[in-house]
Amino acid sequence: MPRSLLGTRIRENRRSKKISQAALAKQAGISASYLNLIEHNRRGIGGKTLLALARVLEVDPRSFIEGADQALVGRVKQAAAMVPAIACEVDKTEEFIARFHGFARLIGRQFDRAKVQDETLQAVTDQMNSDPFFSEAMHLMLSNITTIKSTAEILSDDQDITVALKNRFLSNLLTETEKLAQTAADILQHFEPSTQEDGISSDSAPAEAILEKNDFFIQQLEGNFISPADYTARLNLPKADEDEAIDTLVRYSAIIRKLPIDDFLSAAKTYKYDPVVLSQKLNVSLSVVLRRLAHLPKHDEIPRFGIMECDGSGAVIFRKQLPTLALPRYGSACPLWPIYRSLSQPLQPIKAFINTPTGERFLTYSLTQYVDQNTIGLPSRTTAIMVFTPDYEMFLTKPEIALQPNLAVGLQCSVCPRVNCEARRAKYLLQ
Amino acid sequence: MRKSVLIVEDEPFILEALSFLLKRERLKVSTFTDGKGCVEYIQSTKPDLVILDMMLPNRSGMQILEDLRAMDAFTSLPVLMLTAKGQKKDRAAAEQAGVSLFMTKPFANKEIIQNVHRLLGK
Repeated sequence: MPRSLLGTRIRENRRSKKISQAALAKQAGISASYLNLIEHNRRGIGGKTLLALARVLEVDPRSFIEGADQALVGRVKQAAAMVPAIACEVDKTEEFIARFHGFARLIGRQFDRAKVQDETLQAVTDQMNSDPFFSEAMHLMLSNITTIKSTAEILSDDQDITVALKNRFLSNLLTETEKLAQTAADILQHFEPSTQEDGISSDSAPAEAILEKNDFFIQQLEGNFISPADYTARLNLPKADEDEAIDTLVRYSAIIRKLPIDDFLSAAKTYKYDPVVLSQKLNVSLSVVLRRLAHLPKHDEIPRFGIMECDGSGAVIFRKQLPTLALPRYGSACPLWPIYRSLSQPLQPIKAFINTPTGERFLTYSLTQYVDQNTIGLPSRTTAIMVFTPDYEMFLTKPEIALQPNLAVGLQCSVCPRVNCEARRAKYLLQ
Repeated sequence: MRKSVLIVEDEPFILEALSFLLKRERLKVSTFTDGKGCVEYIQSTKPDLVILDMMLPNRSGMQILEDLRAMDAFTSLPVLMLTAKGQKKDRAAAEQAGVSLFMTKPFANKEIIQNVHRLLGK
């Protein structure tokens, strides 16, 4: 534990009991000047003295030794890091928490709220900036409004207009108003993720939503108890969605066939979830191993892996999000993410630790592969995959983790507070 | 002699409202609703002013403007670009391409009439 917190806690405890420094020092059998140095964190403290002080203050000595809520320390530090322009005394975070616990908890709570708002804002700006539906809908609305405004002005200003023309313009007004109402309703529906009766969120692509509902691990398919087509048929999806869902579940089933879950988990544990080693040992392609990592059962002893797949343009084609890392549905994320670097290095696996502005750290593996390398006369299409896990401590040792360099990334420029980022392509909206 | 205005717009009701407004100003109005064939139509009709929507089917208003400015006969033809895309970059691109005036939708009738007269030199 940092020495600073220890002295501060002794001082706070003494003050709360309204005992003078001299009185405490005397009862504990040390000099007042030595206690003063301890309380001001300028001297270490031996076990005997600590026990004596705890006895006089009638507290459990562990209460001095046990660190402050480490999660709170982390959150307060992350809150400070979000606004680097205010040079907070980060090195005194623990002292601050010890002295002003209520304010520290408030900062922690505000930080959590800001994070949720960041993620929400990210999702909305993501859609607004890159969503072709939204762009088209806005164009339609402006056209509707233009007609309504112009026509209404004509009807209002021109008293000499013929009855036939007046009726014609009134009819146009009615039609455009109805179209405007419909477009507005469509936009609202598009932005508001609804949930169908079966609990499948319509915010995601249908197949992705089915997988989400099952935490990306469908026991019936894993055990080969049912075919993807039969499984999908039970969900009563619209035809187009059903076809897409079957395609996705067929791909998932192919992964299951190549890497049955029990064998894979056993090997993964042995080889520390290293996809490159697993690919060699299990004699399957690296992309299959990466995809398998996104389909693991939910269990305390199994690390969580998210996945993002994009095409050569960076457009997301498949994703599994984790609560701590939101992935874009439309458009692309931070250009510093290893998945985009991978696009320029096909077939070369990339291992990297990434740090988000809110302090989360993820181990990532990325790979770009050719989809149709042998098509003569056409450029080769590529697909990039990135798997990521925040649970790397479950299978890597601390020295192994320490060896890895950190890559500071964002989520998307509009919600990324990192200043002086050379990759920035849009303004930070929360400034 | 009455001045002629060509309105290139694919939204029928906007076209109808604009036509009414300009005819009321005693202008000779013709219309075109597609990006394809628009340049050829302008070449054959030689209007005094073109009101050009930016987003048109088959060929954008911006491409049409660029085509026109590349032709000696139309380097100084007044072109009023009308668009729902009113972002700075769209305006800058239109100005770069040689637009005479850039107006965003929705517009006020009075404003567009004033601008049409101004561009026609009335």
